[in-house]
Amino acid sequence: MTTKFDLNDDSLVVIIGSGAGGGTLANELAQKGIKSVVLEAGRRFKLDDIENDEWKMFGKISWLDKRYVEGPARLAKDFPNLPAWIVKGVGGATVHWAGVAMRFQEHEFKMKTTNGVVPGANVLDWPVTLKELEPYYVKAEMKMGVCGTEATGMPFHGQSSHYKVVAEGAKRIGAKCEQATLAINTQVRDGRPSCQVNGFCMQGCKIGAKWSTMYTEIPKAEATGNVEVRPQSMVLRIEHDKTGKVTGVLYADQDGNQQLQKARIVAVAGNSIESPRMLLNSASSMFPDGLANGSGQVGQNYMTHTTGGVYAEFEKPVHMYKSTVVPGIVHEWKDNDPNRGHLAGYELEILHLGLPFMSAFMKPGKGGWGRELADSLANYDNMAGFWICGEDMAVESNNITLHPTEKDQYGLPVPVVYKTDHINDTRMRNHAYDRSKELFDSIGAIKVNNLPPYPASHNMGTNRMSEHARDGVVNKWGQSHEISNLFVSDGSQFTSSGTENPTLTIVALAIRQADYIADQMKQQLI
Amino acid sequence: MNKNKTAVPSPNTNLSRRRFLARSTVAAVGVGALGSTLLSPAAWAASAIGDHASATLLRMARDVFPHDKLEDKYYAQVMSPLAEQAAKDTDLQTLLKDGVATLDEQAKKRFGKVYLEVATEADRVTVLKALEDTAFFQKIKGDLMMGIYNNQELWPRFGYGGSAWEKGGYINRGFDENDWIEGV
Repeated sequence: MTTKFDLNDDSLVVIIGSGAGGGTLANELAQKGIKSVVLEAGRRFKLDDIENDEWKMFGKISWLDKRYVEGPARLAKDFPNLPAWIVKGVGGATVHWAGVAMRFQEHEFKMKTTNGVVPGANVLDWPVTLKELEPYYVKAEMKMGVCGTEATGMPFHGQSSHYKVVAEGAKRIGAKCEQATLAINTQVRDGRPSCQVNGFCMQGCKIGAKWSTMYTEIPKAEATGNVEVRPQSMVLRIEHDKTGKVTGVLYADQDGNQQLQKARIVAVAGNSIESPRMLLNSASSMFPDGLANGSGQVGQNYMTHTTGGVYAEFEKPVHMYKSTVVPGIVHEWKDNDPNRGHLAGYELEILHLGLPFMSAFMKPGKGGWGRELADSLANYDNMAGFWICGEDMAVESNNITLHPTEKDQYGLPVPVVYKTDHINDTRMRNHAYDRSKELFDSIGAIKVNNLPPYPASHNMGTNRMSEHARDGVVNKWGQSHEISNLFVSDGSQFTSSGTENPTLTIVALAIRQADYIADQMKQQLI
Repeated sequence: MNKNKTAVPSPNTNLSRRRFLARSTVAAVGVGALGSTLLSPAAWAASAIGDHASATLLRMARDVFPHDKLEDKYYAQVMSPLAEQAAKDTDLQTLLKDGVATLDEQAKKRFGKVYLEVATEADRVTVLKALEDTAFFQKIKGDLMMGIYNNQELWPRFGYGGSAWEKGGYINRGFDENDWIEGV
């Protein structure tokens, strides 16, 4: 039973994007009887489309529309047109994520209070505290099926060889290491099977053991009859009336025809490049700098996490690919301890790549060839390694802007992504590289390779939450400071990046936002 | 892409074969020192770009991602389709021919001989390094990366398992096996 809503139905919530934020919001609203249309730029995939093949899935599901990376960071040279590694499809980035689901720490909501003014950064406290969010974290963990949590009672996955190698190294240098709390079933749960450890979490879980809105929130929302998902619908602009309220969304449908879907409320959840881009593209005489942009903060403070990779080679096999992609986390340095020489914290997320991706990311860019690289790749089966994931300082000049002349296939200005390290990011990354080497040396690594950051799967901050309208784009509910019926529902509302992977927090915020929207609608305030 | 398709002469089979045999002789004389399996006849004959360019590209391929234990055929499997495509695509043909010419030019400048005749890998690498930013080099490098490391046939040689879901994943096939790290 496919629900169809009329384009002129102005009683609907229009949600742009179907990932962790948009997909969750649609289902939460639908369960309360609130009707919505979900506009998704990508197509709808089935589990049949999922393959255990890194490059095939990269080509199939990635967001590959034209983008530019600028700035002095190496990423701009290595991947000049691929700032972010995210998904264009129903389910968004939840198709591609590794399932790592960790709560933010208390201090991460209060970076300004904790560290004061950080020179060169635009750090701010969230208008939300951990305490306020805790009940929603529990709900999110329940919804997503996060193993290793009290909320679900589901056990961890067990120790893979990759985990054992790193955990022993961590033990020898006195660092805490635990199995990862993953939104991947370790028991049959919520109509989905238990993980069989295919090792391709990031290519889309072939059996659906990993939570993705693609086969959880979206079909559940559709089953209520309250939601219509329109795939291959690329938003062109958000319309508003003379009073400054949003009234509808203009989009290009799958045949390239322009359609205008009217709306009572619009929720933007297209990830941290597309979401601000939509607001900027919606500039009008009333809002000349773009919607919700009175503060000038739309598109600013782009954060990706401070990342890098470390892969050590051993004399004996690790066969790291026989594991969930992230079997464990070394979280010794996740706290905010300025004595380390940097503010905020980081995690070392044990993470494997397959051989094809290892060949591309071990030494990315034009210089990635030659005997040293080939020798390391010949040692692929004896590798263990991390992805460094640390807090990224908000810097105003790290941002998303619109290309002055170049247009994409929809006729929209191509997004330009400027991103470079704050000095704190560089110091943190170097600290992480050094600790990683110690860890691997302690268990007899014969070589430790440092990998530079690759295109970001964690994109945050470009429509950030703030207590005061002057400092950000949305309030503590993700509601625009300026336009009361316009919401931001994805990671772009993050005020700080935290060290934790963003998905769990995005889902918790979306559940909370749905409660707020329902209440505001009931009170006829929006 | 290719606006000049008709201008490309169709490959003459006989001529190709003669050229190929001739190249084998040249190869035996010129690059014998590089190893007897390097120019194994059946693997690699590219009429579109000529014998010298073919032999040079194969040598280059082995220098870009050197795996001494891998047979020539795996490198040739990457180069052959490129050369075949070049027969129909003049842009690509030019890219490859000019690329090889530049490679030889650089080799002569540094070592007084064409790339194929530069005896050590270290010396050839300095020549390649000079070309690293060119579209030619990056095309060869990119195709090789996919052709070697994304080649399912080679995955077992690197100890990589590839697709696992159809075998039930690793939950009962050794995900926790490790006989050398201490228990934690």
